[in-house]
Amino acid sequence: MKQSPLRHYWQVYKKMASTSASVEMSFRISFCLLVLMDLFFFLSILASVSFIYDHVQTIGPWNRDQLLFFSAFMLTIDNIHMGLVSTNFWMLSFAIRTGELDFTLIKPTHSLFTVFFRQIRPSSFVTLPVAWGILIHYGIKVQLSALDWCLIPLFLILGLTLLCLIEFIVSTSMFWLTEGTGINFLRMQMQQLSRWPNFVYSSLSRKVLTTALPVLLIGSAPVHFIYDKNYWPLIVAMLVAIAACYSVLLFVWNIGLKNYDSASS
Amino acid sequence: MSLNLLKWWQTIKVSWVKYTAYRLNFFLQIVGPVLVFFFIKYNLWSAIYGENPEQMIQGYNLKSMVTYHIWSMIVTMIGQGHASYNMSEDIRMGRISSYLIYPFNFWEFHTASFLSFQFLQLFISGVTIAILVAFNFVELPSTYFLFHGVLYTLFISLFWFTLQYMAGLLSFWLEETWILRVLMGIVTGFLSGYLFPLDLYPDWLVSLLQYTPFPYLTYYPIKIFMGQPSPLWIGYAMIGLWIIIGATINHLIWKKGIKLYTAAGM
Amino acid sequence: MQSIISSQKLTKEFQSYKKEPGFLGTLKSFVSRESIRKKAVDEFSFNIEEGEIIGLLGPNGAGKTTLMKMFTGIIVPSSGELSIMGHRPSDRDKQFRKNIALVMGQKSQLWWDIPAMDSFLLLQRFYEVSDADFEERIEEMSTLLGVKELLNVHVRKLSLGERMKMELMASLLHNPKVIFLDEPTIGLDLVAQENIRQFILDFHRKNNTTIIITSHYMADVNALCERLVLIFDGKKAFDGPISEFEKILGSEKNVSFTFDSSQDTAAEIWNDRDADWNENKTVVELRIPEESLREVSLEILKYLPVTEFNTEKMPIERVMKTLMENPEILRNCEGSGENMLCR
Repeated sequence: MKQSPLRHYWQVYKKMASTSASVEMSFRISFCLLVLMDLFFFLSILASVSFIYDHVQTIGPWNRDQLLFFSAFMLTIDNIHMGLVSTNFWMLSFAIRTGELDFTLIKPTHSLFTVFFRQIRPSSFVTLPVAWGILIHYGIKVQLSALDWCLIPLFLILGLTLLCLIEFIVSTSMFWLTEGTGINFLRMQMQQLSRWPNFVYSSLSRKVLTTALPVLLIGSAPVHFIYDKNYWPLIVAMLVAIAACYSVLLFVWNIGLKNYDSASS
Repeated sequence: MSLNLLKWWQTIKVSWVKYTAYRLNFFLQIVGPVLVFFFIKYNLWSAIYGENPEQMIQGYNLKSMVTYHIWSMIVTMIGQGHASYNMSEDIRMGRISSYLIYPFNFWEFHTASFLSFQFLQLFISGVTIAILVAFNFVELPSTYFLFHGVLYTLFISLFWFTLQYMAGLLSFWLEETWILRVLMGIVTGFLSGYLFPLDLYPDWLVSLLQYTPFPYLTYYPIKIFMGQPSPLWIGYAMIGLWIIIGATINHLIWKKGIKLYTAAGM
Repeated sequence: MQSIISSQKLTKEFQSYKKEPGFLGTLKSFVSRESIRKKAVDEFSFNIEEGEIIGLLGPNGAGKTTLMKMFTGIIVPSSGELSIMGHRPSDRDKQFRKNIALVMGQKSQLWWDIPAMDSFLLLQRFYEVSDADFEERIEEMSTLLGVKELLNVHVRKLSLGERMKMELMASLLHNPKVIFLDEPTIGLDLVAQENIRQFILDFHRKNNTTIIITSHYMADVNALCERLVLIFDGKKAFDGPISEFEKILGSEKNVSFTFDSSQDTAAEIWNDRDADWNENKTVVELRIPEESLREVSLEILKYLPVTEFNTEKMPIERVMKTLMENPEILRNCEGSGENMLCR
């Protein structure tokens, strides 16, 4: 059966998604708890920002609605991330420890694809409308233009891409560790850092988190640009970061594969 | 009796070795998140106070706000660092059978492991606080408040252990208990004053929270470390009550779970 | 013609750290760690022709699995050459991966919480198997293995034997040219072992697949392989037909007799035969040269009250056991052959 590579990957992805969805859906209590967890998470983030603004007018240059829109933007990225990739990071540390990765590596698809896109988490699709609802609500409050509304999906994709690339790179370090679970916590800390706008950080940490570990570009770049088009260099920086991270990823991933010792040999 | 103590002691030692075997992992999983969260909050509040660090926000200037967050970090380390992940694994992977054969109970094993973890956390928080004091980030409270704060926080850690233990036991029925733990973390983080002082919350919420255990988990102990304790017996009574309730429930869950386990062979 | 698999001085080195027990040990290893380098596979060379079934034997930790993982491209060799179907496995070409299969008795590639069929359907996509081929192969394999009714049962509900059959099917769906079987029968009951062996032989006969198999059960090796490769401490210790392997320790046959009463163990007939008696002197095991087997046995059967009479079923089991207990046997005759250290 000859088919184009793109079609092949799409066929495999569809099957991986439906298989993992049916597994996850069979754990009904876990499924409901996950939905609940997502909702509480959204609520706690938005409420914290809101409570702070009960006592101050602005944080940096932004007022309440502007920061809330930023938070909503990050929540939406987080929601898609949770749905499409997040489980796979945990699976990777597990698969390396148990040697299950062996089977993944011999599959005739690119290992990055098979490792990081194997499992989806369907519960996130339940909370997806909530995340988008929040995003749209605050989008209206900060009076986005028609152009801005068109740009948002694109920026969400770019932000998600950058976040994933950085996380893939960081996760590659699991190849060198017997117990890689801690790396997942490191990843989550990077997400935490990105959940606040870049002007919150002092100049040195801001520089580091924009260049060496560009987590601040994920949300701050697009949202700044949406509010003020003079921020276009941030979007350029974001695109450069994506390109750079992509090549770094391919490089370190190959070294990681070479270094993979496989458990219990 | 003394033989049983020996078992406890040996279990504590073995757990210690396990925790320290994967140092990087331990650091990233347990210590790292707390440090990063403090880093974010420090930056955030510096940005909020901006040019004017002396302004008062609900009774806090920048310095006392930072002090609050430093102690919140310490309270978190000592009070709620422990998560009984390996307990869930024991149950799900069916390793529980070996505990049914050992002359050492399941709860004893995991409590000993918890104690070991607490020694480690006390040590790490001690080092953290020593560094912060040395660099003048925070002032050490009087010996009385320091001692009292640590004691109260250890009491809280018992409460958290009871909850974590409960989440672990639910593995008899639940495939993934980490969701429960994260859920608990999000809710308490938000309601207990870990994110920022409860003084900043709307009044209606604060007065509602008085009747829940949440403020006594983080806000109260921080206040002790800061030398401004509210009447303490409420905290001890409230948390103590919840520990007793939790332990009773745990006992019941365990009895039900083990029946399920032995009956079905899972 | 080029061999389908050829390896030259293939070597894999692993690094690990020492740690002493206890808290002091932790502190010590925190400050300085002593690294240990171990050669799991050491200059391993051999060739395999298309359609061969090779048994890869050796004690635990000898390097069999490491070797298998290098063959499948999962781990990268430290040095040496390896070529399989013209590919270097560590390059992990798509074409290479589409033509190999790996079955590990100790690990599972099936999703635990869903029926095997769902995993198969996913694998069909991975390997781009057409629907017609897929259905035909599932039908054929599940019938042969007798698991047709179990295809839609959750994998976690299957017995070990049933699961292993599913694992086999999962690995063979794409009709691989080379199959690596790492202890495929481990932990299975005798019937399931027998089923799986028969299935592998069948598959081999139909497709002329090249198969490399490791196992600790000599019955597997006896039933499946014509050629044996022995690996000790990462080094190749023997490579040749089973019939030669059986003769490593000499060409005597082991024969045992059971009598209905105690026998005189000092009788002349037992001399020079390595007689090994049980406590009651009712069972004896003898080593008899091949050429006098008939003569000696006849004599015993004729004059003594024999109730049972056995010749050894699987001489390789004895040879293997002796070699594992006394690996120096192999070392002693090192250099006597080229690749085959003991002939």
